[in-house]
Amino acid sequence: MFDKSVTKKIQPYSHLFQATLLAALVVTIGCQRGEELGPVASATSVAKIRSVFAGEASATGAAEEGSSESAVATATGWATIKGRFVYDGEPPAMQPYNVNKDQATCTDGGKPPLQETLLVDSGNKGIANVAIYIRKVSRVHESAQPSTEKVLFDQKACVFLTHVLPMTIGQTVELKNSDPVGHNTNISGNNSFNQTIPANESVDYTPQKEEAMPVLAVCSIHPWMASYLLPRANGYYAITAPDGSFEIANVPAGEILEVQVWHESGTGPKGALVLNTEAGKEMKWSKKGRFKINLAEDEVKEFELTVPTNAFRG
Amino acid sequence: MNQNTMKQKLNSFYLLACLVAPLVTVGCSSSGPPEFRLDMVKMVSEETPTAQEYQQEIADVLGALFGTPDEPFALPETGLNAIQLQMAAGSAWSDEKGYNHGLYRKHCVHCHGITGDGRGPTARFLNPYPRDYRPGVYKFKSTYNADRPTDEDLHRVLVNGVPGTAMPSFSLLPSSEVESLVEYVKYLSIRGQMETALTNFVFDELGEEEAEDEDGEPLLDGDGEPVLRRIPFNPAEDAEQQEVVADLLAEIVEGWDAASEKIILPEEDQIPAEERSDEEIAASVDKGRELFYGTRANCIKCHGPTALGDGQQDDFDNWSKAHKKFLSDVAESHKGEPTEDSQEFAASRDEVAAMIYPLRNAIPRNLRQGIYRGGRRRLDIFWRISAGIPGTPMPATGSAAPGGKGTISEAEIWNIVDYVLSLPYESPSRPLKALPANTEGIVN
Repeated sequence: MFDKSVTKKIQPYSHLFQATLLAALVVTIGCQRGEELGPVASATSVAKIRSVFAGEASATGAAEEGSSESAVATATGWATIKGRFVYDGEPPAMQPYNVNKDQATCTDGGKPPLQETLLVDSGNKGIANVAIYIRKVSRVHESAQPSTEKVLFDQKACVFLTHVLPMTIGQTVELKNSDPVGHNTNISGNNSFNQTIPANESVDYTPQKEEAMPVLAVCSIHPWMASYLLPRANGYYAITAPDGSFEIANVPAGEILEVQVWHESGTGPKGALVLNTEAGKEMKWSKKGRFKINLAEDEVKEFELTVPTNAFRG
Repeated sequence: MNQNTMKQKLNSFYLLACLVAPLVTVGCSSSGPPEFRLDMVKMVSEETPTAQEYQQEIADVLGALFGTPDEPFALPETGLNAIQLQMAAGSAWSDEKGYNHGLYRKHCVHCHGITGDGRGPTARFLNPYPRDYRPGVYKFKSTYNADRPTDEDLHRVLVNGVPGTAMPSFSLLPSSEVESLVEYVKYLSIRGQMETALTNFVFDELGEEEAEDEDGEPLLDGDGEPVLRRIPFNPAEDAEQQEVVADLLAEIVEGWDAASEKIILPEEDQIPAEERSDEEIAASVDKGRELFYGTRANCIKCHGPTALGDGQQDDFDNWSKAHKKFLSDVAESHKGEPTEDSQEFAASRDEVAAMIYPLRNAIPRNLRQGIYRGGRRRLDIFWRISAGIPGTPMPATGSAAPGGKGTISEAEIWNIVDYVLSLPYESPSRPLKALPANTEGIVN
């Protein structure tokens, strides 16, 4: 039996002891939810928004498009955007790919192919493979309507022969393998696709959904192979030629067009090319790689865009 | 009891109260009801950097469309069954009649997490990691590569489990409970897909714009620079945004609704006969072996010359690829000069990067073990080879869509099925070749 006086002496402290134990428990078990970052929904906003979607109320505030659309409807005629992207620096030397299999096919006598992450013409410093396209238009000229023509996307010596391939949605792409080894083409984004392409054969691929930015196409078998596809709702796009030049013809005149500019190595989000120069500021070139223009009928707007080296990664 | 001891007792009571109260209220500030959380990797990624105000607005819209883990909500157009969602959601308890509620939290949450992000408390210790439902991508299903799974596909995975992983079989649960869980998993996927769609919409279409006055003239500040205004994301106040959100939801729901029309049904006349002679089977296995090593089906590249899964082992699945990209962007951002943008997200990027589980390669299956994660029926193996395994490097060899043309014929896929199924049981008269040097690379 315990001596009662001893128990009494301990009792007050036992609370303290219990408290410490409890505290330790709370600290170790109760609070292991530190990984929860970010906001949670606020009840008042949720109630308001839900009533709109559940059909109990309708969104207040008229849709903004009304005013701009009526302005657009009156505009007629077409215009052209053309120009050139020029690299403001020494053309970077491309490193060879790390070819670790199928050397006989994938290297040129043991010499692996060079990367294409930033191709700059050694003479006129034009930047190749810049994608430039119009984000939204109110009307589309017949020359820029979605095409039904088949486009070729070939691979040889374990390199995709087209580094950036635009197409209109619904247009079929012939994924061709010109190598004696098998490949697979693994395309990400809204039109995901992953299929083996047998040696010297082709497989068809028809993207049905538009992409806001070019998406990766890779080969899982040869991990160095990487290329980009850009499915768009209309033909208002261009990929710069090796000399950096581009042209988008027959864009609607008399409306504000937002132009998106992208390059594989662009430092902006999703590869947006951001022209952070005086000229860029003047054009109000955004951090998302976009700028706006409004062209007169039959106007040919010419750009000479000098891109600083720090607009690219690496 | 004398006064002294009373005092002491009171003192210690206060002490206890003082000690414990702040711990409960401050130390565990996040101990309210469980909440859905946003995918912070996406929110602070370089692809879709999303300012905190927009994060809150996205969480609000998702809350309006989908409710909370305790009170799930689904608009009628989602086609989700509200009663089943109620059964699966909330805390785990049983009512007087013996019906079980809170099934997801009882059976699934400790691996798959409250939001279905595959980040429950146990997740970090599992290999493979539990599935993150949010992209709506499932590996083991009957439909074409890019399509959603059918209810039956999800049901099958729940009942059979995923052999070779921590995913157990729930075959002892009543069918009604499994169906509730299937519905809840779909609900979490649709919510996750919607989160991605909203985040992309906010990035692509919203942001800052130059403010205009009532006459449509640009507003200028004191220096003559245009005043910038944040475009709020609030579908309750903007009919155009409301329409966009409804369209995005409809497109996601359509993908799930269409699944039952996207089932890969093998052509009857190509299916091998039930009763085949040993010679017929051996001939089919031989054809399958030739395809396995050949440049048309190309299985050898990843599954290896001895089918031990010892080919290409340095690739990643799509879930890991997103994390890999994020981690390398964060590492890269620490090298260069910080820009205005990168500073805005720098702290949260480090915080989010620290949460990511260690990356693991997508290891091709060892086909000699006779363990088939998606099921061992011949039809299961046929679906794996025909559709590939979505979200992983495993490509399809069959058609990518109904009516399309496959890389190899269905008869050839069945030959590979025969070969693959023969691999674990190789006859002693045809022994396995000597193992290659890289056996230490064989993980499973």
